[in-house]
Amino acid sequence: MEDGNFLTDDFLRQLINVGEVDILVGLPTHNNAKTVGSVVHTIRTGILRSFPRERAVIINADGGSRDGTPELITGVSIDDVRRDSGVYALRTLHAISTKYASTPQSEVAMRTILAAAELLRAKACIVMSPESESITPEWVTNLVRPVYSDSFDLVSPTYHRHKFDGLLMTNLLYPMVRALYGVKIREAYMPEFGFSGRLGSQFLGQNRWNDGIGENGTELRLTLAAVTGGFRICQSFLGKKDPVERRAADLVPTLRHSVGVLFSALESDFNAWSTVSGSQEVPAFGADPEVALDPLRVNRKRLRDMFVRGVSELESVFQTILAASTLVELKRIAGLGEEEFRYPAELWVRTVYEFAAAFQKSVISRDHIIQALAPLFRGRVYTFVVENRNGSANDVANNIESLCLEFERLKPYLLEIWKSKQ
Amino acid sequence: MNPTTKDALWYKDAIIYQVHVRTFNDSNGDGIGDFLGLEKKLDYLQELGVNAIWLMPFFPSPLRDDGYDIADYDSVHPSYGTLEDFRKVLDSAHQRGIRVIIEMVLNHTSDQHPWFQEARISQDNHRRNWYVWSDTDTQFKDTRIIFLDTEKSNWAWDPASKSFYWHRFFSHQPDLNYDNPAVREHMWNVMKFWLEMGVDGFRLDAVPYLIEREGTNCENLPETHAIIKELRRRLDEQFPGRMLLAEANQWPADLRPYFGDSDEFHMAFHFPLMPRMFMGLKLEDRKPITEILQQTPEIPPSCQWSLFLRNHDELTLEMVTDIERDYMYDMYAQDRTMRLNLGIRRRLAPLLNNDRRRIELMNSMLMSLPGTPIIYYGDEIAMGDNISLGDRNGVRTPMQWTGGWNAGFSSAEPEKLYAPLIHDPVYGYPAVNVAAQRESEHSLFHWMQRIIAVRKSSAVFGRGSIEFLYPANHRILAYLRRLGNESVLMVNNLSSAAQAVELDLRRYKGNVLIEMFGNNLFPRVGELPYLLTLGPYQSYWFRLRRV
Amino acid sequence: MRELIISELTQAVQDLTRGFAHYLPRLIVMLILAFVGWLIAYLVKIILRSILRLIKFDRLSENAGASQLLTKAALPSATEMLSRFVFWVTWLGFVLLGISVLGILGLQEQITRFFLFLPHLFVSVLILFFGMLAAGFAARAALLGAVNANVPSPGLLSLAVRSIIMVFVLSIVFEELGLAEQTMLVAFGIAFGALMLGLAIAFGIGGKDLARRFLEEKFVRTKKEQDEDELSPL
Repeated sequence: MEDGNFLTDDFLRQLINVGEVDILVGLPTHNNAKTVGSVVHTIRTGILRSFPRERAVIINADGGSRDGTPELITGVSIDDVRRDSGVYALRTLHAISTKYASTPQSEVAMRTILAAAELLRAKACIVMSPESESITPEWVTNLVRPVYSDSFDLVSPTYHRHKFDGLLMTNLLYPMVRALYGVKIREAYMPEFGFSGRLGSQFLGQNRWNDGIGENGTELRLTLAAVTGGFRICQSFLGKKDPVERRAADLVPTLRHSVGVLFSALESDFNAWSTVSGSQEVPAFGADPEVALDPLRVNRKRLRDMFVRGVSELESVFQTILAASTLVELKRIAGLGEEEFRYPAELWVRTVYEFAAAFQKSVISRDHIIQALAPLFRGRVYTFVVENRNGSANDVANNIESLCLEFERLKPYLLEIWKSKQ
Repeated sequence: MNPTTKDALWYKDAIIYQVHVRTFNDSNGDGIGDFLGLEKKLDYLQELGVNAIWLMPFFPSPLRDDGYDIADYDSVHPSYGTLEDFRKVLDSAHQRGIRVIIEMVLNHTSDQHPWFQEARISQDNHRRNWYVWSDTDTQFKDTRIIFLDTEKSNWAWDPASKSFYWHRFFSHQPDLNYDNPAVREHMWNVMKFWLEMGVDGFRLDAVPYLIEREGTNCENLPETHAIIKELRRRLDEQFPGRMLLAEANQWPADLRPYFGDSDEFHMAFHFPLMPRMFMGLKLEDRKPITEILQQTPEIPPSCQWSLFLRNHDELTLEMVTDIERDYMYDMYAQDRTMRLNLGIRRRLAPLLNNDRRRIELMNSMLMSLPGTPIIYYGDEIAMGDNISLGDRNGVRTPMQWTGGWNAGFSSAEPEKLYAPLIHDPVYGYPAVNVAAQRESEHSLFHWMQRIIAVRKSSAVFGRGSIEFLYPANHRILAYLRRLGNESVLMVNNLSSAAQAVELDLRRYKGNVLIEMFGNNLFPRVGELPYLLTLGPYQSYWFRLRRV
Repeated sequence: MRELIISELTQAVQDLTRGFAHYLPRLIVMLILAFVGWLIAYLVKIILRSILRLIKFDRLSENAGASQLLTKAALPSATEMLSRFVFWVTWLGFVLLGISVLGILGLQEQITRFFLFLPHLFVSVLILFFGMLAAGFAARAALLGAVNANVPSPGLLSLAVRSIIMVFVLSIVFEELGLAEQTMLVAFGIAFGALMLGLAIAFGIGGKDLARRFLEEKFVRTKKEQDEDELSPL
């Protein structure tokens, strides 16, 4: 068992009172008072409707909220649910909260939830996002049921999203995980997902949690652990995903938590992914995820400008990361006019792979490597937006598919540069 | 006349034993229990510790509904003896300090009753109006059918008088017409007859259904309450200290009117609580129990709830939601033959898989929750049931006294018994009987004796208030009973696993807890939450004493 | 007369021989020390070179920017330079030790001073090296941060950061070496102060809009026009 000293006495006492459960819902929060009330209400409705006989608990891991978020979660009464949704509660549905730190650290929040799941011997666990405004009770059902009734170990969500939403996922994370690990998981880095107690325990025990950085991206690592550990994985359609408000300054932290984590994992998982070729579908539940095509205003010029500036200003950095030919090609396309500018798939894949290899060798500080990727990613986003601005859902899907195939095709290249200069 | 009737609120301290004469003890070897047989076993009841018995219907009857179809109100069924025999039972019981409550089925009679036979003759007969007739079966459409498994309608066709008659129960039990003053008067006289003999109270069967009105569900109508008030008024006037117990399978809010302003029933069965106790046990969660008791309205100080775990009927699931009913069926009656009329027809022990700990826990709650407990005969020794006997007869098999001939119930040939004995290896009479349990120190019988004695040691159980504690551990049902300066704390573990619980007893800081069975001291209550650990299905009874 | 000359000559030869015989052992000791010192210095150089190769010192010095400097000056790699430096210093040390055995008075003091100076020299080299490392890291961090924040002139910002740190490092080095301490201290003070003042003026006047935007983003969190068209990467 994991060293449980990081759980507070009070939380442990609350866990004792809850006892063994069948379903555990983890809710990591930080100042989410605006949305968490209705999210919790929806979660309760979902559990009471679909799993009325099961013992369930909502575990809130809070990172020092100052707006009363934990009180909103523990204070929602069963009677409110009954009044509003007409659902009858057969048994007590616990909601407990613990403050794991004074500032939000996603890794510690996940660790808290995993530890609670292990102590309470939960069979099926889900983690929900406290900010989700489009969540419905069916989301809970769709994440829990594959684990609880069909014995899957990981349920990755799929959503109805806008074609330009989540481009880091579609242009890097999804194709790279697919190419390297051999599984077609669309949302490897997910705000809500389900997992079995078995997977949770294994992940909790195997991981080195005291790396000291408190890095985020535990969800991604859980996905990769499920893949490399031979666990049963499936995807389940939830619904429309809220586009989370993002600012330009958020791209680098996002890259750290997603791409940085992926690159780190490649090192430890080398034996697993180096021998995989091709990719497999995973079982899917629910509707096929759809792509929304409504027009969206995008500041394309800014994307390209940042790419061009990045290539020029960061040349000295790129020299230590990229192959000479790749850098030359990047400089060439940076010099193209707005109409001709394109960041082709093959070049993008090579770029990403060379970054991954440089990351593994720590040619410079790893964090700097990740930061250096940001302007290049913007260039890729520009190209994707331009190529798909008038495309149908099918076109978009086909473009993503061909990008994935490119990642798969160039995997030997990654292996080659990975092993060189060892 | 009645030496035991001194305390007008005696029913609050009562521990009632429900028994059918037919099932208890056969004195004349005809295979059917009788009054003299019952009289012989009153010592047993005194030994057990009960102080009241409720006798199920013993009136002359075709016995198509186990005696609830009465054919003569002023006599006893010849199979059980004579009126004189009954009087003997009354006197013997009173001498032992045991009160006697009998059935009174007001709502309907047997179709063999002379009144009905007369009423059928013609539409002009003077008894015609004693029942509820109609030319069509479309009246009172909103009324539910109670015996769903056998009856399709509340109207039955009488070929003799070529009209329909109203019956809320079996079709051979026509409802009396309480709009007729003659009926009301006569039924009071019936009650008076028995009261004068010395009975201490009546369980009035099927009271919600006395009156019918178009456009209603024909239950709990104001006119019904008026009738009851009248009965009660007369009772208090002429027979003070006697008791009326209502059988009304309703939600607590709908039951409340039956207490009136202390001018209707003295007691009423708390039907909705009982299935929730079983539910809480299976869920390992106190929620169903605390919720129903929270929803239970306050009743007048002189009134009392009557609590029970099982009785002669099926474990009714009328007063639960669909989700709850499905859960109860799945947990307690997977075999569909166990299900009857929206209920489960099993005895206590088989329902609890003969788990001694669970039986004790349920009885512990029965004896300590607010109300007068009723023990169904045989449950004190964990008797089993026989579902194949049909209807609800499976839970009405002969009392098992010994492991010998006919379980000591009767000297007759086994084939002559009114119902076969339970034979199986687990519940059969060679294994489960009074004699064996008397010999065994740790038997359920002795345990029941003990808990009854502890309950009787304090008036707080029958007369005290209740305050639930809500410890964070939902598997623990804990509550305080208080009467004057006396306080007792009940802690029940509904779980099959050992539990730890912290109770907030700060208001009782400084009190020492004294466990009531062993009279041993437990630590004093301080500022911190009071930590207790309980084994699976264990319960604690504590007296709180400030030294 | 002849006998006097012969006896004087003999005396002189005897004195010379005596003197020579007096110093010879010391000379031999000095030569032995020099030879042994050479051997030891060579051994140290080999070991140090292996260690430096093992810890990939060249990579580290690349990060520090030291390798680039050496290449520009057509000098061998950092590992080699350091190894050779240590070799010469070690051998020199032994040679000086040998000379001190000769017992030449004035030289003794200078040799002692040299040995006392050596630790300062090593510390200075270390400070310089790690200082360059830190400057390189910070400069690159500033560059990346500025590029990603779309701040104008990221190269200039990066150079400024590097310069500030190097100025600071060099001043510590000079202080450690004890070279013109006071002068360096004052010069550093003036340079650093001027740099800071210049930056403050530039930032305050020229970059006040930038400052306002930065502060607003940090503390007020209002959406700006630029961010309205941002896409959500995940």
